[in-house]
Amino acid sequence: MEIVALIAIAVFLFTYALIVDERIHRAVAAMFGAAIVVFIGIVPWEALLDHVDFGTILLLMGMMIIVNTARGSGLFEYIAIRTAKLAKGSPIRVLILFALVTAVVSAFLDNVTTVLLLTPMLLYIAKVMKLNPIPFLVTEIFASNVGGAATLIGDPPNIMIGSATGLSFNEFVIHLGPIMVINMAILLLMMYLIYGRSMKVDPEEREEMVRTLNDLDERAAIVDRSLFNKSLVVIGFVILLFFVHDRIGEILHVVLPFVDPAMGLEPAEVALIGAAILLFWSRQSPEEIFEKIEWPALFFFGGLFVIVGALVETGIIANIAAIMVENVGSTGEAMFIVTWFAAIASAIVDNIPLTAAMIPLIQDLGATMDVYPLWWSLALGACLGGNGTAIGASANVVVIGIAEREGINISFVDFLKVGMLVLFVTVAVGLGILWLKFAM
Amino acid sequence: MGYSSSLIQRKFKDIVGKRYDSVLKEYSEFLLTEEELLVPEIRSILVPLDFFVHDITDEAIDVLSAYEATISLAYITDAGVVEILERALNQSSTEEFRAKKEEYGRELLERTAAKLEEHGLSTQTRMFVGHKGDDVVQMAKNHDMVALCRRYADGESTDASISPIVLRICQRVETPALIY
Repeated sequence: MEIVALIAIAVFLFTYALIVDERIHRAVAAMFGAAIVVFIGIVPWEALLDHVDFGTILLLMGMMIIVNTARGSGLFEYIAIRTAKLAKGSPIRVLILFALVTAVVSAFLDNVTTVLLLTPMLLYIAKVMKLNPIPFLVTEIFASNVGGAATLIGDPPNIMIGSATGLSFNEFVIHLGPIMVINMAILLLMMYLIYGRSMKVDPEEREEMVRTLNDLDERAAIVDRSLFNKSLVVIGFVILLFFVHDRIGEILHVVLPFVDPAMGLEPAEVALIGAAILLFWSRQSPEEIFEKIEWPALFFFGGLFVIVGALVETGIIANIAAIMVENVGSTGEAMFIVTWFAAIASAIVDNIPLTAAMIPLIQDLGATMDVYPLWWSLALGACLGGNGTAIGASANVVVIGIAEREGINISFVDFLKVGMLVLFVTVAVGLGILWLKFAM
Repeated sequence: MGYSSSLIQRKFKDIVGKRYDSVLKEYSEFLLTEEELLVPEIRSILVPLDFFVHDITDEAIDVLSAYEATISLAYITDAGVVEILERALNQSSTEEFRAKKEEYGRELLERTAAKLEEHGLSTQTRMFVGHKGDDVVQMAKNHDMVALCRRYADGESTDASISPIVLRICQRVETPALIY
């Protein structure tokens, strides 16, 4: 093996170890790794621009602008209070409703923001009910990862896969949406069986809880009514646009004949168009909104793309793909390997760097086999694999981190026990459905 | 802190940054704190009175009526003033001052107690010479709440400010304080 290949592997492993350990900020670790492979010429400038997936970075940026602008209106707090009131004092209903709301919001908006804004409300409700908050928090984590897996924009692995492959929003909804609906039902049943017995509230406390929650005024959460309405309209429009992004030309051609009917919009373009409309319409200060863009996350993605690009440039990915092709007999077998490898590795490494490394590998496999089903296997494994451990996905870290700050300890091992169970059941169900679709 | 716990905190810091603090601030606008969630049990309320408190307002009575508590009305004559008068005047003049003060105090106590009892509140009264700040702080330890007129221990100023003694008492007592 050439020395540059060894250096590329060493940088890759060293950076991923730093990302797992996080003693150094993940964005800094990724940028430093990228700097090494660029400095010694493994990834030249022209190749760097090819390897950095600007589709992913711009889509994330657009959605960050939309979410951060909408956040200022109190939209998420409003949703949290409305959900809490709908539960009418029943702990099981709180668990189910918050899980469903988390899953739906996570499917269309960023998981981290979703759980960051819903978790304080869940903790408050658990306090009012005098119940252990852990079942609610753990369910929220799983729901966020399951819900996020349902769409192209729901979870970073899907965004990366969608951008790298050109798969449409609707394809994600068609292939992964039903799996995630089934998995949500299974998840809620599992949570009920595991935690249901510990969720009893006596009628007096229930009455007091209803009274306390009814005292909350969801209208008071709306800081800016005009921005609230505009945010709802723009988010609705953006979601609608995602559903038709690949055939927007056909629709526009009807009213604007000069538009090419074959034209489609990339998901990143949809997000940036939505961001531009919301900023223009709401008249929010662009400086303030742009300051809220999570630049470290974007640089983290950029650095990862370059580090993985070094593996591509040195032929390592091609070699691994060749070994896989030699040893894999059928599409079904490849699906099985990709799904379970992605799921288990995601639980250990964090699903974003895992997906960054897997995408070029599957692209290389595409030279010799039909990789279309493998993209769904990767999405399924990477998103649901995040449920396995406390560090498997960003939503896990955020919820467990908040809990710890509020004096609630969800230990790594305790989470692992439930997380691995959820991982194996949901991934097995998902793989089974994909298998029936593509390998039978 | 174990490795996994510090790992989570490191990752949390890197992923969330300072966003959680701003979320908490936004929620604090409309969610009750843990302290506010506990409904304090109020069984006795101390209401200090003096020469500058002429009446108890209807709004204050409405609030006091919300609790099933005994109201302890305490009329306090400032010991410092009495001491200065004793030094400056002869004994009979001092006695006359005391008698007039006591008469005024008794009248105020009776009038206030009657007004509170009209609203169904049970009352206790007492009158003594003491320190208007320290003695209230001391007595508050045996009560669940203190209700203070903003003019208490103030003087006859006409502005709407709160007496400095009242503010000092509020800072020092551990029980909830109501200013009317």
